[in-house]
Amino acid sequence: MVDVSQHNLVPEHAILDEAGVETVLEEYGVDRTDLPKITRRDPALPDDADVGDVIEITRESRTAEKALVYRLVVES
Amino acid sequence: MTDQTPKEIGSVSFGLMDPETYREISATKVITADTYDDDGYPIDMGLMDPRLGVIDPGLECRTCGKHSGSCNGHFGHIELAAPVIHVGFAKLMRRLLRGTCRECSRLLLTEEQMDEFRSRLVRTRQLGDDPQDVLKAAIRQARKTSRCPYCASEQYEVKHEKPTTYYEVQDVLVGDYSEKMARAMQPDSEDEDDQGTSPQQLAEGAGIDLSRINEIMSGEFRPRPDDRQAIEEVLDVDLTEEDMNKLMPSDIRDWFEDVPNEDLEVLGIDAESSRPEWMVLTVLPVPPVTARPSITLDNGQRSEDDLTHKLVDIIRINQRFMENREAGAPQLIIEDLWELLQYHVTTFMDNEISGTPPARHRSGRPLKTLSQRLKGKEGRFRGSLSGKRVNFSARTVISPDPTLSLNEVGVPERVASEMTQTMNVSPRNVEDARRYVSNGPTGHPGANYVQRPDGRRLKVTEKNCEELAEKVQPGWEVNRHLVDGDIVIFNRQPSLHRMSIMAHEVVVMPYHTFRLNTTVCPPYNADFDGDEMNMHALQNEEARAEARVLMRVQEQILSPRFGENIIGAIQDHISGTYLLTHENPQFNETQALDLLRATQVDELPAPDGADEDGNAYWTGRTVFSELLPDDLDLEFTSSAGDTVLIEDGRLIEGTVDEDAVGAFGGEVVDRVIKTDGSTRARVLINEVAALAMRAIMHFGFSLGIDDESIPDAAEEQIDEAIDNAYDRVEELITTYDNGDLESLPGRTVDETLEMKIMQTLGKARDSAGDIAEDHFADDNPAVIMAESGARGSLLNLTQMAACVGQQAVRGERINRGYEDRTLSHYKPNDLSAEAHGFVEHSYRGGLNPQEFFFHAMGGREGLVDTAVRTSKSGYLQRRLINALSELEAQYDGTVRDTRDTIVQFEFGEDGTSPVQVSSDEDNAVDVDAIADRVLEAEFDAEAEREEFVAATRPTNLSERADDRGASRDPQPAADAAAGQVNDDD
Repeated sequence: MVDVSQHNLVPEHAILDEAGVETVLEEYGVDRTDLPKITRRDPALPDDADVGDVIEITRESRTAEKALVYRLVVES
Repeated sequence: MTDQTPKEIGSVSFGLMDPETYREISATKVITADTYDDDGYPIDMGLMDPRLGVIDPGLECRTCGKHSGSCNGHFGHIELAAPVIHVGFAKLMRRLLRGTCRECSRLLLTEEQMDEFRSRLVRTRQLGDDPQDVLKAAIRQARKTSRCPYCASEQYEVKHEKPTTYYEVQDVLVGDYSEKMARAMQPDSEDEDDQGTSPQQLAEGAGIDLSRINEIMSGEFRPRPDDRQAIEEVLDVDLTEEDMNKLMPSDIRDWFEDVPNEDLEVLGIDAESSRPEWMVLTVLPVPPVTARPSITLDNGQRSEDDLTHKLVDIIRINQRFMENREAGAPQLIIEDLWELLQYHVTTFMDNEISGTPPARHRSGRPLKTLSQRLKGKEGRFRGSLSGKRVNFSARTVISPDPTLSLNEVGVPERVASEMTQTMNVSPRNVEDARRYVSNGPTGHPGANYVQRPDGRRLKVTEKNCEELAEKVQPGWEVNRHLVDGDIVIFNRQPSLHRMSIMAHEVVVMPYHTFRLNTTVCPPYNADFDGDEMNMHALQNEEARAEARVLMRVQEQILSPRFGENIIGAIQDHISGTYLLTHENPQFNETQALDLLRATQVDELPAPDGADEDGNAYWTGRTVFSELLPDDLDLEFTSSAGDTVLIEDGRLIEGTVDEDAVGAFGGEVVDRVIKTDGSTRARVLINEVAALAMRAIMHFGFSLGIDDESIPDAAEEQIDEAIDNAYDRVEELITTYDNGDLESLPGRTVDETLEMKIMQTLGKARDSAGDIAEDHFADDNPAVIMAESGARGSLLNLTQMAACVGQQAVRGERINRGYEDRTLSHYKPNDLSAEAHGFVEHSYRGGLNPQEFFFHAMGGREGLVDTAVRTSKSGYLQRRLINALSELEAQYDGTVRDTRDTIVQFEFGEDGTSPVQVSSDEDNAVDVDAIADRVLEAEFDAEAEREEFVAATRPTNLSERADDRGASRDPQPAADAAAGQVNDDD
C-alpha cells in the first residue's frame, strides 16, 4: 500500500509524549476527550499510534506560517 | 418581568413519567366524551371542562382563577380501562423485550459482559458519542443467548409488527402430529423401493421405546422437543410450526416491572427517571383546553380541534371497553376493543406511522395530531420557536434614491406612523413627548399610545390627543412614531450572509416604497424590479445601541470572506468615474462646481490650466481627487489597463473604474476604510457615487441599436470567417465518416469529433468578435461599460454585433429532437454546425426560426438549473448553519462548541478576523502610520505621548499571539504557562 504520510499534501503527524500531552491539556484547560479526534486506522497516522495517544500535527497555513493542531486517537 | 434576576440553565434531562404523577398533576379526571352542553357551557368531567383551562373571554378558569389570555391551561387525565403501548417507545420496547429474560426479567448478559458495557458507556459519554449505540450493541449481544444466565429459562424470539403489536414466536408441535406421522409411515406409492416405515423401525431410528412410539401415534402422548426432532429426521416430515403468542400490553408491563435498576444502568437508562414499565400507559394525560382550542365558525357553530376529536374517540372506546368487560363479553370482543383502543391512543400521538391507516376527519383529510404539530418546517420547532412572526415589522417594495446616504433608509409615512418607539418621559423630554402626543396618531411625528405609571394604557385618538398631551408627565411612557434618525433593521430575503440584515437610519418620506441608496444593493442582492424588503423597529435601548454600533451599513462595508469591500460603486457609478477620469476631460468653474454639488467639497483647488480663451479649467481627475483623503498614496493597475497613481490624495494618472472604487475589491475604498475608518469610507462611497452620477448626466450616456452596427466590409469578413469554420467542420465530419479521425487520449472517436467541432465553432465566434471589436470606437457605450467593468463584457458585444455562437444543453451541442436529427428541417445524421445549434447571426441581425428554437432550448436549461440550484444550495446552507451556529471563539483564542470541545486551537489558524486585516500582501496596512496619526491627534505635548506609550496595560490579544511566526517551539505552551488562561469566565 502507498504510504500517504509521505505525500506532500499530508502534514506531519507526530505522537506527543506524556509530558507534552500534559502541557497541552493544561494550556487549553481541557481533558483528553475534549480534543478533536482522529481514528486509529487513519492512513496519515504513524504505525505505532494507539488508541488514547495524542498526535501533534504541524500544518503549513495560508494565513499563519505554521499551525499546530492536536488530535486524540479513538477507535472509530 | 424586568425585576427578575437573569438565570442560567444548569441542565435539562428527559425521562418518562409515572402514572401516579399524572394523576397528581391532573386538574380533573375526564370521563365524558361530550364537550359542551345545550347552553354552550362546558360540561363537568368532560373534555372542555373549565378546570382544564378557558378559551372563552369572560369565563374564569376554575383551577387558577385567571381569564382567557392569562390562563395557561391545565392537564387532565383519563383512566384507561386497559394498559396501552406508547407509540413513541415502540422501538425501545422491542429492544428491551429482546434483551431481557421472559421469566425473571433480568438482562440476558453475564456479569462480565455487563461490566464491559458499563465501561463502554462511560467512555461514550466522555467522548460525546451517542449512548444509544451502546444500548443497541448491548441488546444485539443479549439477543444471541437462548437461555437466561440467571434463571436458565428458555427465551423465544420476539417479533414485532408495526406499530404496536409484539409476538413471542415459539416452535411448537403441530396439532395433527399423529396423523402426519402415520401418513409419513405409509409406503410411498410413487417410489417402488419405499416399503413404508414400521413402528419398530421408527423406534430404533429415533431411539425411543416402542411403547412410547405407540402412545405417540395414538395421540395420547406428545413427544418432547428432542424426540420430536429425532422422529422428524427419521420420517423426513415436518412436525413443527411457529406459534405466535401475542404479548398484551399488560403482559409487557408486568415483564418490565421486574427488570432490576442495575441492569438498566448497563443500557444507559436512568432508572430513577425512566422506569421501562412507564412506557406502557395506564393513565393518559389530557392536554389542556388552551392547547386544543375550539373555533367558532361564521354560522355560530363550534368546531373542535383535531386533538379534541381524537380524545373523544379514545374516551368512547374506553367506555365501551369498560362496559363490555363488566358485562362479561367474550375474549375475542375484549381483544378487539383493546386493539381499537390501542389504535386510537397511537393515532392520538402520531398519525403518520407506516403500517396503520391514518385517522381521518369526516371530510377525508387526515387529522393533525401531536407529533405532526412538532415536526417539519411548519411545526412547533422550526415554525413557531426558531422562527416566528413578529410585531413592529413592515414590508414594501423598494425603489432607489441616490440622495440618501449609505446608512439611511427612506421610510414611507404610513409605515412610520404604525411602527412606534417607546419613549420614557423624563423632565428633559417632556416637551417633545407632549408635542408628539398632541400631533395625534395620524399626524407625523405623532404618537399612538400613552401609558400611565399605574400601567393603564390609553389609545391616542384625534379627539383626546390635545387633552392627553397636557396630562403627560415624567414617568409616563409614550409610543411615538418613527422619526428621522431612529435606528431600524433592514433586511432582504433570502438572508444568506450577515450583510443581508443591516441597520439603517430612518428618513421619513412621502409615497409608499422603502428607499435605499443604490450602492447598498449588492450585499442585499436587491434590484428594483419589484423586490420587497423587510424592516424591523427595535424596541429596546440595548438593541438600538447594538444595531448602531455593530450593524450599521458602514460597519459592514468589508466582507468577512476575504476582507474586501462589498459595498462600493456599481454599474452606472463606474461608467461615470470612467468617463470622468479616462480621457481626463476639462471643465470650467461652473461645471466643476456643479459636479461637486452633492459632496462636502466647498472650494475648488487651483485650476489645472487655462484654455484658449483664458478661462480656467479643471480636469476630471482633479475633480475626482477632491473626494480622496489628503494622505492617500496608492498605485495599482486599473481594469482599463493603465496604472493608477494616487499621491497625497491626488489622482495623478490612471482611470478610476471597477478596480478602484467598485463593489468587490475596490482598492481605494479598501485602503480608505482600513486607514481612515468606516465613517470616512462611508463618506467616500457616498460622494463617489454622487459625483459619478452627476458626471454621467453631464456627458449623457445611452445605448442604441446603431451602437452595435458594423460596416458592411466587416460583415463580409465575419461571414467569411464563419464560412471557413463551416468548411473545417465539414472536413472534420468527412474525416470522421471515413473513419480516419484520430481520437484524443482518453476519449472515444465520437467525443473527439464533438469536441473538435465545438472548438472550431467557438474559435469562429471569437474571431467574428475580434473583427467586430476592431470597428468599435472607444466611446462606444457598450465598450465603455465592458472596459470599465460597469456591466457586461466583450462577449455581450460580440453576440449583439457579430455572431451569437453555439447553443449548448448539458455542455453538448443540441441533440434532442427527432430521431437522429434535431428538427425535421435537416436530414437524419446531419452533424453540421447549423443542424446542432450553432447560431450564425447576431442579435442585431436576427435569428432564423431554427436558430431561435435552439437558443430557446439553451436558455430554458439556464432558467431551470437556476431554480434547482437555489433549493439545493439553500438546503446545504441550512445544514452548514446548523452545524456551525453553536461554535464560538473563546477568550483564549480557541474555537469551541457548547460542550467546550475544541474545534480550532487558534481561530482561523492565525487568530485574526479577515475584516480587520489587510486583504492582500501588496497593499499591507501601515499600522505604525495610523498609530502615529492617532497619537498626534490625541496628545499635544510630547511628554504626555511618551508617558502613554510607555505605560503597560493588560492586553486583550490572545496569549499565543506572540508565538506565531517564531520557530516551532517543542514546548509550545512554555509562554502560556506563565500567563495562565482562566477559563472560568
